[in-house]
Amino acid sequence: MITCEQVNRTFHGPGGEVRGLCDVSFTVTRGEFVAVQGASGSGKSTLLLTLGGMLRPSSGRVAVNGHELYGLSAAERGRVRAAGIGFVFQLFHLVPYLTVLDNVLAGLPGSVDSAARARAAALLDEFGLSHRAAHKPATLSAGERQRTALARAILKQPAVILADEPTGNLDPENAASVFRHLAAYRRQGGTVMVVTHGPDAAPHADRTFRLEQGRLTELQTQPVSR
Amino acid sequence: MTLLALIWKELWHLRVNAFLVAAGLALAVALLTVVRLTTAAAERETRRVMRDLGFNLRIIPRDTDMDAFWASGHSDKTLPADTVQKLAAQHGLFVTFNHLTPALERRFPVAGRDAILSGIGPSVIGPGEKKQPMGFLIAKGSVYLGSEIAASLGAKPKSRIELAGRSFTVERVLAESGSDDDIRLYTALEDAQSLLGLPGRINEIKAIDCLCLTADQDPLSQLRAVLEKALPEAKVLQLRSLADARAKQRQMAERYAAFATPVVLLGGALWVGLLTVLNVRERRAEIGLWRALGRGSGRIATLFLGKAALLGLVGAGLGYALGTALALRFGPDIFKVTAKALEPDIALLGWAALLTPVFAAVSAFLPAMLAVAQDPADSLRAD
Repeated sequence: MITCEQVNRTFHGPGGEVRGLCDVSFTVTRGEFVAVQGASGSGKSTLLLTLGGMLRPSSGRVAVNGHELYGLSAAERGRVRAAGIGFVFQLFHLVPYLTVLDNVLAGLPGSVDSAARARAAALLDEFGLSHRAAHKPATLSAGERQRTALARAILKQPAVILADEPTGNLDPENAASVFRHLAAYRRQGGTVMVVTHGPDAAPHADRTFRLEQGRLTELQTQPVSR
Repeated sequence: MTLLALIWKELWHLRVNAFLVAAGLALAVALLTVVRLTTAAAERETRRVMRDLGFNLRIIPRDTDMDAFWASGHSDKTLPADTVQKLAAQHGLFVTFNHLTPALERRFPVAGRDAILSGIGPSVIGPGEKKQPMGFLIAKGSVYLGSEIAASLGAKPKSRIELAGRSFTVERVLAESGSDDDIRLYTALEDAQSLLGLPGRINEIKAIDCLCLTADQDPLSQLRAVLEKALPEAKVLQLRSLADARAKQRQMAERYAAFATPVVLLGGALWVGLLTVLNVRERRAEIGLWRALGRGSGRIATLFLGKAALLGLVGAGLGYALGTALALRFGPDIFKVTAKALEPDIALLGWAALLTPVFAAVSAFLPAMLAVAQDPADSLRAD
């Protein structure tokens, strides 16, 4: 499902060279929930964006859903992303001028038909957002915004969801709600990879990694009841 | 969601930005509309004022004795009156000559004075042109009198005078001009031909040159080349000072339009480009998100170019209305002679509606490419 082999990412800044990722290698199989913990600046976002086909590694190989991401053109990577990868961000990144419903529908790669609208409405209902469907993001609470972003990622039923600090701006109750939804998605057969600065995701994860100064190490492997 | 719906929602969301872009474009279109309408008015006014200076070309028989011509002011030879029609029938003639007016002039004794009798025929203008005939059309049996001749005859408008035993109605007494016009009698061409015993003859075709070239650009050799081909039995003289004044005035009006238009266009392009850059910066996270959702460069570029084009369409309509209103409100105070000719130009609206969206999209092209080239990782990373 996700294969990372000897992935390195180096940034060149005014202070010199910074290693974002150092020889990162791992494999995530279909239906796994993987948590990656790391302090701020450890390379978590770099890892997730690299896996999402949005940040070319300096070296190494990344394959998602059988696609060698960086062997593809930018347009082809975009199509792979649109079809099979869902993103959830710490800062939600909702489109400010679209309603909650339209934001969720924006996650779909193709045209929106009535069936898609019905699925989106059902998802909003499931996420407790039905009453907010016609509202703009600016009027939502942080928890509602993140649930909207999650619904957007889930609507197209991607093979993989990549979540970058999805609970970083949420209170414990909303954070727990987000993890519950991600775990539920994993139970439906989806693959989830979450990066956080704390251990919040670990209880839901099949495997947990630690990222320190760009180096990834596996912390534990435990079966999680589904 | 369709791109158009997305653009529309974003426009409504960032109304101030949209308003500023549309207002900038409307202002540019309004200025261009004002420039276009007033330049056309200025050209009309210039043409009218220059035309009122009089004809600047004299086409006379080739075998004219030039010493006698300069001494008397007219040719001692004649041409058939239908020479005008023959000349007008030449293909492309009106590119260089216009307002072809047949005339017959001779010294003529009136009240014991040596006056000048000028018979003026109707002007021939280029096919399809709406130009007013030059000078004045004189009805048969009427006469326009120069001030000194009128004084000698004691004639007033509507009085009758005798010329060579024929009675004429004084249609107008011309104001003192300080030239030999003060001793002229203007009649219809046929009347002059009859009075002078030269039926069916003329000795001059008065005209205006359309080249609008100044003396240093040698318009005369071009005029002569055309006439040589069209009417070898005639030659052309140019009243240089009049022709030069006319050409310089028209060239000035054209230079003004040529200067103002690109300045306004450049200003409009910079304004749209600047606001689009700000819009792109404001929407960095959104652009990153569209990338994350798998949207391609074309779609992202279209978001910005489409927005610019849509605002261009709005700006075109508003700008045309504003510019036309300004031109119609203030134009008549500036262009008093041709005030009535100032009117809305619907074709201009068509061009504005067609070109302003294209112009706006071109102005927004570089910022749109900036958006396309933006690295989504920069705006999406959390750590």
